[in-house]
Amino acid sequence: MIEMSDVVLVLSATGWVTMVGTIVLLWGVAAWTLYRSLSDEDRKLELIDEQGEIDTYSPGALAELREWVQSNPEDPLAEEGKERYNDCVGVLRRVDETFYDWSESEIESLEKL
Amino acid sequence: MADTDARTVREQWGSRFGFLMAMMGAMVGAGNIWRLPYITGENGGGAFLLAYILLLFVIAVPGLMAESVLGRFTNQGVIGSFRSVFGRGRAEGLGLVVVLVNVALMSYYAPIIGWTIYYAANSLLLRFSQPGFASEAFWNAFSSSPALTVGMHTLAMGLVGGVLLFGVKDGIERVVKWMIPLLVLALAAVAAVGLTLEGAMEGLAFAFTPEWAALTRGSTWITALGQALFSTGLGWGIALTFGSYLSKNDDVPLGAGLFTAVGNTSVGLLAIFAVFPLVFAFGLEPSEGSQLTFVTLPQVFPQMPAGPFWAIAFFVGFLFATISTGLAVTEVAVTTVEEETRLGRSGAVGATVGVIWLLGVPSAISSEVFGTMDFMFGNFGLPLATLLIVLTVGWKVGPERIRVLALNRNSDVHIGRWWNPVIKYAIPAIMSFIIVYYVITNVASSFARTAGGLALMAGLLIVAVIAMETLRGGGEPTETDTIAGDD
Repeated sequence: MIEMSDVVLVLSATGWVTMVGTIVLLWGVAAWTLYRSLSDEDRKLELIDEQGEIDTYSPGALAELREWVQSNPEDPLAEEGKERYNDCVGVLRRVDETFYDWSESEIESLEKL
Repeated sequence: MADTDARTVREQWGSRFGFLMAMMGAMVGAGNIWRLPYITGENGGGAFLLAYILLLFVIAVPGLMAESVLGRFTNQGVIGSFRSVFGRGRAEGLGLVVVLVNVALMSYYAPIIGWTIYYAANSLLLRFSQPGFASEAFWNAFSSSPALTVGMHTLAMGLVGGVLLFGVKDGIERVVKWMIPLLVLALAAVAAVGLTLEGAMEGLAFAFTPEWAALTRGSTWITALGQALFSTGLGWGIALTFGSYLSKNDDVPLGAGLFTAVGNTSVGLLAIFAVFPLVFAFGLEPSEGSQLTFVTLPQVFPQMPAGPFWAIAFFVGFLFATISTGLAVTEVAVTTVEEETRLGRSGAVGATVGVIWLLGVPSAISSEVFGTMDFMFGNFGLPLATLLIVLTVGWKVGPERIRVLALNRNSDVHIGRWWNPVIKYAIPAIMSFIIVYYVITNVASSFARTAGGLALMAGLLIVAVIAMETLRGGGEPTETDTIAGDD
């Protein structure tokens, strides 16, 4: 079996830092994304079970969608973008609990396109 | 089996965990285990890893998001997605090229799965710990026996076909949900025991000690780029195909993008911990490819306490890594054949597996054919497929459109405007650079193969485009085709 003193001699301080940094950047991020992805999925399923539907865009994403639809009215997908926007606004007005972090005032200020 | 309802209701993943494991399993293959450890040590150790991780986050993660969201948005396989974007006819040929590259890739990857089946079976039979076992002679006896290599290739395609017959949810998902966690556990266990051996830390020093000067060498960045793009399977049609089976409430960026790329590389890191401590502890030469896995490592396990157990863990884990990739690569073609022909699931699986098996026999028998196929499709076919998919999203669909409409819909993380130039300019430029670089570096040493590879890809492109034009006729996207246009 190996002694700790041998370990330090073989792997330099920068080697240790690189190894630990790589572990954090890879295993740490992988574990976080796995946890976040699975817990978000649980939350979505829970809300769909309770309410039958969930909001589909975050406040930032919905604002960008609105801006894109208004800036590109002739785009072949503008109508679909409008439908997606209006669907999300409709859901936000109907549900008690949102998936994304929406405030009451943000929802009240939304207008359909 | 999924035949009866395939035409009316498109399958969906049964669970988020299943989708994530399928994506990770698709991208974790032989390269993570037999290539990443060695190229890390050879290209500056920790410095290489930092360059690789940087490129992974900047290029591979956004690229996988683009490919997956295209599939999720069109809800179709590769050819169907190209049709949705460009309309019927010629451009469907671009999708056909991606499918044919996958078929060619699988034809020489299936024999590798066959090798891992053979070694996993022999580890279970405790062959490596028998007195007088000589790993090099064992490998030579196996690889020079057409009966064994073709037999294992046949078994590999039989296993892949058998799983795919059950569809995406009941086939692929059901299998990878336990295969990938077991692979991770097996590598972790081998790594844990390897690290306790005397001299093991020399292996970690070889892999992690940063040689900062390596970052000033172009070859380091080229190798890191190649590994970041190829080991994540970006642009092969896998992420597109798997993304097409997501439900409308599913997230794309976090799971299909970030988790897939980082999870895949995390297994590569685990392989570094599993392989190098063992190799250095027993004073063997580090190497890459089949030499490392099938010659060097079988010498190591018998010398370890409880060696047969660790040999089983390693080789069965390695089998899981290769077979999960084989399932995904073959599914790209199966999904397309099922959608584009009158064949049901069983027929599509049978036809695809049969063609791949037939094309793979020469690679199973001859290492020269295997090497040539790998050279041509690895160096030129896969970058071509990646370029076709990324250019489609970047220049035809338009990154801003798909970002605001689909990528950020139901996403677990918000993707900002920074994503657009990466998809539109950075990835196409890098892929083009890699193709040109490979041509320049290989043309002097192997002119015939390089010229042949380029001619083959050009021919593939022309024939596929003409074939689809002839079969389908030209035309703009129809009502069912969804995303013609640009930003």
